[in-house]
Amino acid sequence: MTHRQSLSERCYRIGMLIYPPSFRERFELEMLAFARERLAVARGRGTRAVVGETVSLVLDTLRSAPPQWAHVTRERWLVEGITQASDPAYPRDNMDILLQDLRFAFRGLLRRPAFTIVAALTLALGIGANTAIFSVVNALLIRPLPYPNADRMVVIYGTQGSQGQQGVVYADYHEWRAQNRTFDDMGVFRSQSVNLTGRDTPDRLVGMFVSASFMRLIGATAEQGRLFTDAETEVETSAPVAILSHETWETRFGSDPSILGKTIVLNGQPHTVVAVSRPRIQTPFGTPDAYLPIGYYPNATGLQRGTRGVAALGTIKAGVGFANAERDLKTLAKQQEDAFPTTNKGFGVELQSLKDQIVGPTRTPIYIVFAAVGMVLLIACANVANLQLARGAARHRELSVRAALGAGRGRIAQQLLTESVMLSMVGGLAGIALAILGTKWLAKVLANTLPIDPGIRVDSVALAFAFFISVVCGVLFGMVPAWKASRTDVQGMLRTRTGAAGHGHAMTRNTLVVVQLALSLALLSCAGLLTRSLIELQHVNTGFDTNNLMTMQFRLPAVKYDTPDKIWSMFDRTIAEIRSVPGVESAALVRAFPFTGNGDVLPVMIEGRPPVKPGDAPSMLVNTITPDYFTTMRIPRLSGRDILPSDNKTTVPVIVVNTEFATKTWPNESALGKRVQIGGDERWWTIVGIVRGTKHFSLSEHQLLQGYIPHAQRPQIFTTVALRSTGNPLLLTRAVREAIWRVDRDQPVWGVRTMDQLLDGAVGSPKLIVRLTGGFAIVALLLGAIGIYGMLSYTMSQRSHEVGIRIALGAESRQVVRMVVGEGMRVVGIAVAIGLAGSLGATRLLRSQLFGVGPTDVLTFAVVTVILALVAMLACFLPARRASRVDPMVALRAD
Amino acid sequence: MVSIDPRSQLPLTPVVLHILLALTDGERHGYAIAQEIEETTEGQIRMGPGTLYGSIQRMLTASLIDEAPARRRPSDDDERRRYYRMTTFGKRVLELELQRLSSVVRIARTKRLLRDPGVA
Repeated sequence: MTHRQSLSERCYRIGMLIYPPSFRERFELEMLAFARERLAVARGRGTRAVVGETVSLVLDTLRSAPPQWAHVTRERWLVEGITQASDPAYPRDNMDILLQDLRFAFRGLLRRPAFTIVAALTLALGIGANTAIFSVVNALLIRPLPYPNADRMVVIYGTQGSQGQQGVVYADYHEWRAQNRTFDDMGVFRSQSVNLTGRDTPDRLVGMFVSASFMRLIGATAEQGRLFTDAETEVETSAPVAILSHETWETRFGSDPSILGKTIVLNGQPHTVVAVSRPRIQTPFGTPDAYLPIGYYPNATGLQRGTRGVAALGTIKAGVGFANAERDLKTLAKQQEDAFPTTNKGFGVELQSLKDQIVGPTRTPIYIVFAAVGMVLLIACANVANLQLARGAARHRELSVRAALGAGRGRIAQQLLTESVMLSMVGGLAGIALAILGTKWLAKVLANTLPIDPGIRVDSVALAFAFFISVVCGVLFGMVPAWKASRTDVQGMLRTRTGAAGHGHAMTRNTLVVVQLALSLALLSCAGLLTRSLIELQHVNTGFDTNNLMTMQFRLPAVKYDTPDKIWSMFDRTIAEIRSVPGVESAALVRAFPFTGNGDVLPVMIEGRPPVKPGDAPSMLVNTITPDYFTTMRIPRLSGRDILPSDNKTTVPVIVVNTEFATKTWPNESALGKRVQIGGDERWWTIVGIVRGTKHFSLSEHQLLQGYIPHAQRPQIFTTVALRSTGNPLLLTRAVREAIWRVDRDQPVWGVRTMDQLLDGAVGSPKLIVRLTGGFAIVALLLGAIGIYGMLSYTMSQRSHEVGIRIALGAESRQVVRMVVGEGMRVVGIAVAIGLAGSLGATRLLRSQLFGVGPTDVLTFAVVTVILALVAMLACFLPARRASRVDPMVALRAD
Repeated sequence: MVSIDPRSQLPLTPVVLHILLALTDGERHGYAIAQEIEETTEGQIRMGPGTLYGSIQRMLTASLIDEAPARRRPSDDDERRRYYRMTTFGKRVLELELQRLSSVVRIARTKRLLRDPGVA
């Protein structure tokens, strides 16, 4: 809630900018305190009251600002002082004046439908885009996560030496939970797929092995039955119980009304269903189909001392603070380290707020896109301001008449401002409709990149935001014309027939166009850099041939496959069956297929080198493969030999490493024949071959040190299939699945994806940012082009007299075109200079999002400048051509 | 100081009148003034910060009120708060305005437009 409070306060502070500075200086703090108390009271009465209060604050600000300006400028233009208006015909109070202005404004807008529609659409685009992106900002960065006390929730990470963000030792967690003084509670979990058998077809469930406290922490509740008890999830007293998610109960168990107490077979063991959770529970780490006690986590070593095998979550006590909680746990971790010097050597602990963990990586991209839409809105405002100036010029006579009849300058300014705000409101309404559509699309696209569904929608806060920016825009683009109008020289205006714009007027309009184009250029530069960066990313060499590759995953139930021999023989038969499927060019099993997110990064010890502290050993991405993996992936071998079918549990353990590991460890000699130890494994692995490095987790990663060991020498229950087909690999899905089922009828298979799909996922988030910023940059460019087009059309219409004389005196139409385009391009030139300077500042902020291209990439800047110049030139050419076709007789006669 | 005829300030706007009425019981800060007015008028006059401080600004200029000197305040009080009080001149203007209003009411009564208080 503290975030939202500061947001409305900040908005109010910005809103106060419409008061004269002297007034602000004197009363700002008091008014802010006032608004804060009002909002605090409203907050106690719910969201609706907050929205109501916000609206009344905005109206209050709008109503009370003009009199203050009157006070400062000593113009008695708004009859609202200490004494009441003495003229009964004059509106009595602010509300009456406002209503009168509104009526007048409404009629005025209806009278000029073309202007109203163009202006409102421009604004709708800007306000809509901003509201949609704000909805994302609100859902991800402002609104608390959907958990009780979410602001105090932290992820508890284990550390070792310099390595952070690791799992936690279960036994340590147990001690911490009992002894800490700074946490309300802690819980642990471990996600892993679970095989559901004993039914018609084997099925795979997304499983989460949890402690009872974990479910309480995330606020999970049971729709039927009861949650786990602490005893049921303690490792020593673990009970074979399970909780099904509401959705799983519906889809896989047909909403069986008597599910409670029934026994289902999970990972080969019978479990009693004790509860069905309420619908739509999301944990911060995925949406499981079933919850099981952590004690049933199938990887038995995962819960032993010395293994940081579980992930931990905690809620810090209210008022304790992040730093104190972290200090508390560090002290406890030190005690554990002293108590268990062998297993806990170098083990530490660190905290990360849950919010950072979940939305951290998306924060910068969101701000970038938010800044981009902000610029679009500014450009839209400048556009409408220009339109209004043009209209204002045409309305000079009307305004002059009103002034002559006794309307004060300020009164006229206020009227114009009311018109702008009303126009902006119309745009805002259309914008909200656009925002609702846009937000739906964004929510759908973002769903794949976030671990939880943050509920991105246009809610009351977003509506208040839309309302707020509509008002701000109305004031922003209404201010210039209103100010201009208030300085109208009545007599002068009545005397001039056409009300031609003076020099000052043209300056204002040119400045607005410069602002528009400069902003467009800055936005184009950012979009350009991000696009180039995406292209670079898509052209990264993965180190293997990505065509016609497919993967699928399976996990053997540990109960059924309880010895390495059983696992290996299953794998061996499976790969033979898969190879026999027609259309399969080659196939292998690999524990972690690239870009699936799986992968074991383990410390390596090198034979003959002095032992280093566990945290400081080099890390290697160790993959377990069957022979033919390199052939299937087309990873080139540089020296030595491949993993062979003859490498098995009876022969010497062998490893193939990538060239980066080989040259980094042995810069001056061959790595072949050297031996290494990996992870906790006691065995020494002899290097028999060297292959080229491949990308594994992301396209932008630095080349990892890699090693490949044979499945036959270290069989583990989880593996994936790597398969290259002769045609479209997806057509083989069914046949390959059946091949696996020929070996084990009960084995679920899932995660069928082609390499193309995986790579698409790897660039999904940059692609989205490029699409959004690129889209907004194009909108900005178009608005900028319309701006300069409008400006030139208008000046030319005002100067048709002059052009007429030129033509009458023998100027050729080509010369006229050149003159007009030249004039327009001078404005463009200034805009480009300012825009480029601004771009240099703006793109610097993008640095963290760029890959393979610098923030000052000359080529990008050159290309976007040329694009802007070309579009602007086209926009200048149209009015120029029209001007060149002026009939001198007509133009001269008109005067 | 130039003496101004208090009558030149009449009639008062409802907001100014109510602010002066709220200050008759002693000095108050802005939010308290607004709250008191909202309560005494049973919610009929509910002003936002802009309206309130706009009026305060004008009343300060017209010397109807002034800012109370800093003093020891309850410990939980916000430091930013400034207290306002009625000046002698303000009191005079308020009296004159109330006299004016009561004469209006008197006229209304004689014309039987308004009933005596206490008569149902």
